[in-house]
Amino acid sequence: MADEEIEIEISPQGKVTVRTKGIKGSRCLDVAELFARIIGREESRQLTSEYYEQSAEVQNQVHVSNRYTGGDP
Amino acid sequence: MSSVIVLAPLIIGGWPVITAAVTAAIGTMGFSIATAGANDQRSHAANRAEIEVEESEIIPNQSGIEQTLVVERNGIRATFSRDARGALKVCMEGVGVSKAELKRVGEELLGGVTQQYAYHRIVSELKERNMTIVDEEVQADRSVKIRVRNF
Repeated sequence: MADEEIEIEISPQGKVTVRTKGIKGSRCLDVAELFARIIGREESRQLTSEYYEQSAEVQNQVHVSNRYTGGDP
Repeated sequence: MSSVIVLAPLIIGGWPVITAAVTAAIGTMGFSIATAGANDQRSHAANRAEIEVEESEIIPNQSGIEQTLVVERNGIRATFSRDARGALKVCMEGVGVSKAELKRVGEELLGGVTQQYAYHRIVSELKERNMTIVDEEVQADRSVKIRVRNF
């Protein structure tokens, strides 16, 4: 979370480029689409390998569940 | 980097919003607001070029009176107004200036206005959502870069 950042660049012609950094999974698109609703029309989008990575929260939840298999303690 | 999205601003607002964007843009572009009555006699020798911002919608004021804003620089005059469809348009005029040059200057001016509109829209929204603006910078090519955290 500490490394998550959004970089917004507004060109002299008024074109807006929104770059999300350090945000894994589809959440980066949620953030970018928020700006699309604020600003106007989306012209193009490019997804990087970080988008396809699972976030750390999802990975940790999978490993916690199967420790106790039954029987008297 | 996770994603890169490119957006084209849709300018929507009342005349005060347009005036604010124009006023903010002209400062760095060498234009100034034309004083009322000064040089109002239009020369028949002046060339004219009109540019409409298609992706715009100016909300009319309740009085129904159409408003204009005139700025000028070195004999070139730019009149901002709302056209019949409600879009923003600028009429460029200049004596001894070609139509092509007027169009070029007009597009540069509109680019600056669009930039200022987008900047203020974005910053207002960031503040409303309590997002943290870490840094703002005007680059050498006059683009504005804003870094945001806590979203």
